[in-house]
Amino acid sequence: MTQLILEDQHGETTMVNMGPQHPSTHGVINLRLLLQGEVIAKIDPIVGFLHRSIEKLGEMTPYPGFLPYTDRVDYLSAMFGNQVYCMAVEELLGVEVPRRAEYLRVIACELNRIISHLIAVGTMAMDLGAFTPFLHAIRERETVNDFMERICGARINYSYMRIGGVPRDLEPGLDKDILKFLDRFEKFIPEFNRLITGNEIFVRRLIDLAVIPAADAISCGLSGPNLRSSGVDYDLRRDRPYSAYPEFEFRVVTGEGYRGQTGDCYARYWVRIDEMLESAKIVRQALLGLPEGDVKAKVPRKITPPKGEVYSAVESSRGEMGCYLVSDGGEQPLRVRFRTGSFTAMTVLPKIVPGLMVADLTAFFGSLDVVAPEIDR
Amino acid sequence: MSSTVFDYFTNIRNAFTSIFHGLAVTFSYLFRKPTTIQYPDRIDTPVQQMLPPLFRGILEVDVGLCIGCNLCEKTCPLGCLRTAVVRDPETNQRYITRFDVDISKCMVCGLCSENCPTGAVRHSTEFEASTANMVNLVIRYVKPGERIPVHKPVKGEESPGLPQNEPIARAHKEWDEPPPVDPDQVRGRVRWKNDGAPEEEQSS
Amino acid sequence: MKELFFELSQSWQLEPLEMTGAIALWLVVVSAIVLSFVATFAGVTSWVERRVAGRMMSRIGPNRVGPQGFLQWMADGLKCFLKEDVIPNEVDKPLFRFAPYLVFTGTFAAFAALPFGYGIVAADLNIGIFYVTAITALVVIGILMAGWSSNNKWSLLGGVRSAAQIVSYEIPSGLAILSVVVLAGTLNLQAIIAGQGGFPWDWYIFNNPFTLMAFFIFFASILAEGNRTPFDLPEAESELVAGYLTEYSGMRFVFFFFGEWANLWVMSALITTLFLGGWQIPGVADLAGVVAGVQGAAKTLWILLSVVVFFAKTLVLVFVVIWIRWTLPRLRVDQLMVMCWKYFVPFGFLCMMGSALFVLIAQSPLGETVHLVVRLALTGLGGLVLLLFVRRTILNVRELQDPFYFKVLE
Ligand code: SF4
Ligand code: SF4
Repeated sequence: MTQLILEDQHGETTMVNMGPQHPSTHGVINLRLLLQGEVIAKIDPIVGFLHRSIEKLGEMTPYPGFLPYTDRVDYLSAMFGNQVYCMAVEELLGVEVPRRAEYLRVIACELNRIISHLIAVGTMAMDLGAFTPFLHAIRERETVNDFMERICGARINYSYMRIGGVPRDLEPGLDKDILKFLDRFEKFIPEFNRLITGNEIFVRRLIDLAVIPAADAISCGLSGPNLRSSGVDYDLRRDRPYSAYPEFEFRVVTGEGYRGQTGDCYARYWVRIDEMLESAKIVRQALLGLPEGDVKAKVPRKITPPKGEVYSAVESSRGEMGCYLVSDGGEQPLRVRFRTGSFTAMTVLPKIVPGLMVADLTAFFGSLDVVAPEIDR
Repeated sequence: MSSTVFDYFTNIRNAFTSIFHGLAVTFSYLFRKPTTIQYPDRIDTPVQQMLPPLFRGILEVDVGLCIGCNLCEKTCPLGCLRTAVVRDPETNQRYITRFDVDISKCMVCGLCSENCPTGAVRHSTEFEASTANMVNLVIRYVKPGERIPVHKPVKGEESPGLPQNEPIARAHKEWDEPPPVDPDQVRGRVRWKNDGAPEEEQSS
Repeated sequence: MKELFFELSQSWQLEPLEMTGAIALWLVVVSAIVLSFVATFAGVTSWVERRVAGRMMSRIGPNRVGPQGFLQWMADGLKCFLKEDVIPNEVDKPLFRFAPYLVFTGTFAAFAALPFGYGIVAADLNIGIFYVTAITALVVIGILMAGWSSNNKWSLLGGVRSAAQIVSYEIPSGLAILSVVVLAGTLNLQAIIAGQGGFPWDWYIFNNPFTLMAFFIFFASILAEGNRTPFDLPEAESELVAGYLTEYSGMRFVFFFFGEWANLWVMSALITTLFLGGWQIPGVADLAGVVAGVQGAAKTLWILLSVVVFFAKTLVLVFVVIWIRWTLPRLRVDQLMVMCWKYFVPFGFLCMMGSALFVLIAQSPLGETVHLVVRLALTGLGGLVLLLFVRRTILNVRELQDPFYFKVLE
């Protein structure tokens, strides 16, 4: 561990602003650093640069109309925002989603997880100075984006799901194309690993770096890949099953058994790589076992759920994404609130970062896979 | 970093093998076709034709199909659409006198086109809407002063519905026109949310 | 070059005063030639680098300006020269202005002693290699100056990093050079090349296991001195925005890059000279004798051939450096130091001692044979690695079922 002893250095400290415009803050985040030489003595994450008041907008938009906004909660995994919101409203309404629609949702979500994780590992490599892996990841992502475009008509802001199901069925022939891609993708990952994951410089940069112990991870509210890489075996898809997930077989990846310690940056990286393969497996199962039937349940055009509140949660690519919805029986929600993985990931910074070097901070920050708009919403 | 002599030499070996593999991967890409699509000019088919039929591009309205139900306007979370229908008191015929789409606000979410009962409003595969003047992005599908009788779907006849599965012709490209210079014209085209007083027609 | 000059001046029979003028003129002409070479090389390499990087990333790279985008570098250069040269308010102005030129001079001056072919060298110094290592260290002053004067914390960090890095890596690179010098018995670059032969087993890289090791150490440390990936910490854009370059724009920015790309040539030419047999033409045992033996056009042709060989080797190395840059991630500062002091320096000493030992072995009875066997074995090893590499590359393409596609120009 490169925890350099701060007391050894009696020099002065320097305050630097990392961001809001900095190449490796992944969006508009300001990290205020107190440096002693190159070692960080104190870190002060300042968030809020990307606040778009999505939650306030939710209180003024009718239920179906709020759906496109949920794309913007986390633009790299918009599908999960869609799903968590739809799940919340469906639960309030008591609507049963058709099984085929659930399968289509799972397919879309897992493809989205692949997209998001590809970006995560790619940008992480770029934060460490390797450009080519990033572009290779982006290339594969573009292929998945093309599928997304064929599934739902858009590449980033999908707005795919509707309350009660999904609007359209799969385009004919699309399932074959996706299966073909998955075959290729499962070969691409080993190549990617040869290019960067196994690279000794890359490994040395990441192993034993910024270890988040399981207890810290839990107390900071980390979730998703960041939590699992600390060795906590917890995945909403398995432990609080929703949608069609109980019908699929997949492994919950935890950060044990990779080089270095459990909970270091390398484990976080590997968890994402392995999760992509697991997602590919789920998509394959879902496509092969796609049930027949409707894709959308009958819901009234004007949605007025009964009074009540509900919390729904999905396992997004950045951890637990939750939606807390309060209805007063009107056409608009009384309160919508999103719980996102990136925001809690920011809280772990002041605990772990002091003692790291600037170069390590970019690696650590990259390994947390924080997306700025998801922090602020 | 390394604690034992064994580690020391393992590191060296690992460094060599991993760099060897990395170099082989990048080198092998010199013998593969680049994936770049040289948009916009050096491509065989225009991107618009390569897009999947479901693609949600800029909204396109076929006013001739509109029954004037105003559902699209109500569904849009942003208020991008504005329609107006007047009824001729003599013939009882309803006319659409206004159908504006503000594509600068539209987030192409697809809610309006899904709710339209006849498929009058739908997504085209058009997505290039850059313009020098944002006012140009308000597309008026009914020219001011024009009156288009509402569509009357024939009972039993299949309405066109959502023609999402076939490529749609390029949308009306009003934004290609030079920006208006006449201030009156500008005022006429400015966003309706700001221009205060509603026009004489009432939206039904 | 000097000989050529003296030949000419003797044939013209100049007076002493005229002689001074002629020398001055000669210097101007030579430096103009070298400068235009450097500028062209830097520009063209920038284009090549971007194209190669593009293809490695499955992109195309610049291909719009001129045929195949070849004129991109001119367009970029022109753009940068026409751009406003922003000098921020609070910078240390004289230093800020001066630093880019210092960086450029450091690299540019190295060209004076670099060989380009048989007898083609601006100044055939008998301490050539020493001069080159010494003068390129000037770059660090420029970078430090740029970092300090920019009055920007990221720049300062970059500058300090660079200083630490370049100073540390002088040691392993020096040791690696020494292991060659031990074999050649001279510091003169032309003489070092003359000590090698045309075929790979005559090169110093495959001379003995220690020089092979020295080759890698030298390669790595010269990358570090040139601030190239994986050692590009001073300008690590994901950490330090752009390091010491952060505040620069316009022409001064270009000068830094001039320096960087010129340095690419310096590195590659040095490696070619020291390890890869320089301008030695395969199959010609004694180029000096051959050239001395012929006259006129034949002589020019032989020299030209040597230039071609030298350029080919150097350009291959330039490609390798570019290729490494687009493959590897970057080290961390402390790892950089660890690598230098814990790996390179001890091995550097080992290389030097080992080479010296090998000189003794080669001189002993039976030594000739042993040496030949070792050389051939090492060359075979090199060939084997190359074969494995080709195999791995083909497998990589096959695995993803991409069709083979080779077009240099897109
Ligand atoms: S696509 Fe969405 S935002 Fe655009 S007009 Fe239709 S409902 Fe409104
Ligand atoms: S476009 Fe469709 S939804 Fe809108 S008013 Fe016309 S018929 Fe109704």
